[in-house]
Amino acid sequence: MATIVSLNDLVKNYYLESVVVRALRGVTLTVDEGDFVALMGPSGSGKSTLLNLLGCLDRATSGQYYLGDEDVSEMDDDQLSEIRSKYIGFIFQSYNLLPQYTVIENIEVPLLYQGRKLDAETKRFCAELADLVGLADRLDHRPMQLSGGQQQRVAIARALVNDPHIILADEPTGNLDSKTSEEIMKLLQKLNQTGKTIIMVTHETDIAAWARRAVRMRDGLVESDLRNDGRPPGDPVSSPDGSQNGLAAENIMQHLPHPTPYSN
Amino acid sequence: MNHLFSLFLGLLYLLIVLALLFWERGRRSFLLAIRSLWLHKLRLVLSVLGIIIGTAAVISLTAFGEGSMQDALDDIKRQGATNIMIRSLKPPDDSSTQRRTMVAHYGLSYTDYERFLTISTVTRRVPMRIFAQEIRYLERMHNGRVVGTVPEYAEINQLELAAGRFLTEDDDYYMKNVAVLGSKTAERLFPFNDPINQTVRLSQHFYKVVGVLRERMPFGSPQPADSSSGGGTSAQGIEDFNNDVYIPLQTCKVRFGEKVFIRQSGSRSGEQVELSQVTLTVEDMDKVRPAGEVVKDILLSGPNRHYKNDFAVTVPLDRLQEAERAKDRFTRLLVLIASISLVVGGIGIMNIMLATVTERTREIGIRRALGAKRKDITLQFLVEAVVQTNVGGLAGVILGVSLVYFIPFFSAEVMRTYLPAKLDPFSIFLSLGVAVGVGVAFGLYPAIRAAQLDPIEALRHE
Repeated sequence: MATIVSLNDLVKNYYLESVVVRALRGVTLTVDEGDFVALMGPSGSGKSTLLNLLGCLDRATSGQYYLGDEDVSEMDDDQLSEIRSKYIGFIFQSYNLLPQYTVIENIEVPLLYQGRKLDAETKRFCAELADLVGLADRLDHRPMQLSGGQQQRVAIARALVNDPHIILADEPTGNLDSKTSEEIMKLLQKLNQTGKTIIMVTHETDIAAWARRAVRMRDGLVESDLRNDGRPPGDPVSSPDGSQNGLAAENIMQHLPHPTPYSN
Repeated sequence: MNHLFSLFLGLLYLLIVLALLFWERGRRSFLLAIRSLWLHKLRLVLSVLGIIIGTAAVISLTAFGEGSMQDALDDIKRQGATNIMIRSLKPPDDSSTQRRTMVAHYGLSYTDYERFLTISTVTRRVPMRIFAQEIRYLERMHNGRVVGTVPEYAEINQLELAAGRFLTEDDDYYMKNVAVLGSKTAERLFPFNDPINQTVRLSQHFYKVVGVLRERMPFGSPQPADSSSGGGTSAQGIEDFNNDVYIPLQTCKVRFGEKVFIRQSGSRSGEQVELSQVTLTVEDMDKVRPAGEVVKDILLSGPNRHYKNDFAVTVPLDRLQEAERAKDRFTRLLVLIASISLVVGGIGIMNIMLATVTERTREIGIRRALGAKRKDITLQFLVEAVVQTNVGGLAGVILGVSLVYFIPFFSAEVMRTYLPAKLDPFSIFLSLGVAVGVGVAFGLYPAIRAAQLDPIEALRHE
């Protein structure tokens, strides 16, 4: 099983006037392909900082971060943008859809920044993704016309469109009621079972229970790292098996022009 | 120079528009900008109002300025740029001399006319004798002017005949009693019949009508003489030629003599003028001004020199160049006004764009998270600013062009004044080019600010 994320002694300091805030104090963590990690911890523990670093939105003060085969810790702003557009899918707590765009156009946005030509092919692919998250009949709706759960589904479809190495979810159910939360988590679980690697920040243990692995943080360090099935984190993840859910995502992924660079 | 610059701006504009439409990312940014702007229509209108007014003002002011300048230039050109006009003037100390002599003797003489022949660069001399006279046909009467002149008069004034012929050498040589009528004179005297070969009476003598002129544009302003306003000014004010009747100069000399008596509120006053005007044509434009100086020298020196200031030398070329200089100054002033209004409009755009960037910080964060590079964000907001200024520019062009067509119509119909307007197509390109420039200049700072936002901060922004 390939390692998709590899953090080595990652340190992040914030300099606020004269005070140095040490948000991450040396995090070492590896995430394997196909894993589903719940990142937990009290506020101020550094989990959001870690997620930002994982999402290449920020650069670490020191330490290495390998995403796939690439060392992203030394990259400049443009290169990081490219990494984000190619290898990372974001799901936010507040959905963060673009209000000017319809559902299908929102799903297309990451492709737009890959410099890809948007044609009938990509349109069809985006429509299939919308179908995958259960919004096939809402393609031309605007975000304002959708419920929270539906908006989050659009966000999930958008996170899938560039076939990312990792999907980063920042409290994806934070703004949703428990029933909708469950639907969203089921969807994420299904995606994980088709082989998607997901790293999810949450502070709710029942949400974290959907993940295969729970990483707890405290004071900028990893406090504990446990598998949900009781195995220690060093153990390889069981092979993802999407066939039992009858999910079409595998087929859809084949439409993507570039095969996942880390596939073996 | 000016036109080249506007052409350059116009081409730049077309190039930018074409690039936007054919370049995939450009088209996408363009559509996005349209869409984002469409969310706030009122704001769009208000923010581009400055640009609209600025552009419309530039286009319509240029057109009106150009129109009246053209008018003045045409007027001068009609008088001929190679011509020198020498007119007899009543001297300013007239009232005192009149009391003593009864008849005021002044103006150009035939001697002067002969002496103009000594100027080697003069190719044509046209003497004129002009005075007011009643023109009669049967019971009809018209208060017109008699112009005693030579056949060349037709050439220097570019006369067009409606019927018959103009005066000929023979007419002059044999002192024939023939007359050519101005259009208005002909219309007044012969409303129903053909004036050719009819006979009109001037003073005691009868003249055969041999020709009728087309309507002539008066010097000073191309409008009917009954209206008092006008764009240009000629030395003698507005001269209406349509009331004229032209007779051979020799005939005029013999039949009328040099003395003319004018009845004025009971008292009679006389004037003795040999020639009212001499128009000289010089062979080349460059030699007009030296020739003008020589004319003055001739009139102010020698045994027959004029002691009184009873003549005026007009060189239309001087006025042409003066008018062209005035036009240049006017253009420069317009450019200044335009730049001020467009800068003001640009500041409005910048203000709105800065507000938009703040308002859409979150959107910027989202886009950055989804892989947008800094330059993508810059481009997005820059295109939005440029699209705004162009919406304003195009609306301004439409407003300006309709003003150019509407205001002269309005002023003619309602205010009864003539307002010449000449739409300069380059002013349209100029203002559109400037609109792009203003969009780039004032949109760049907000766009760069948007791109410099930290994505994490931007995502957290409410």
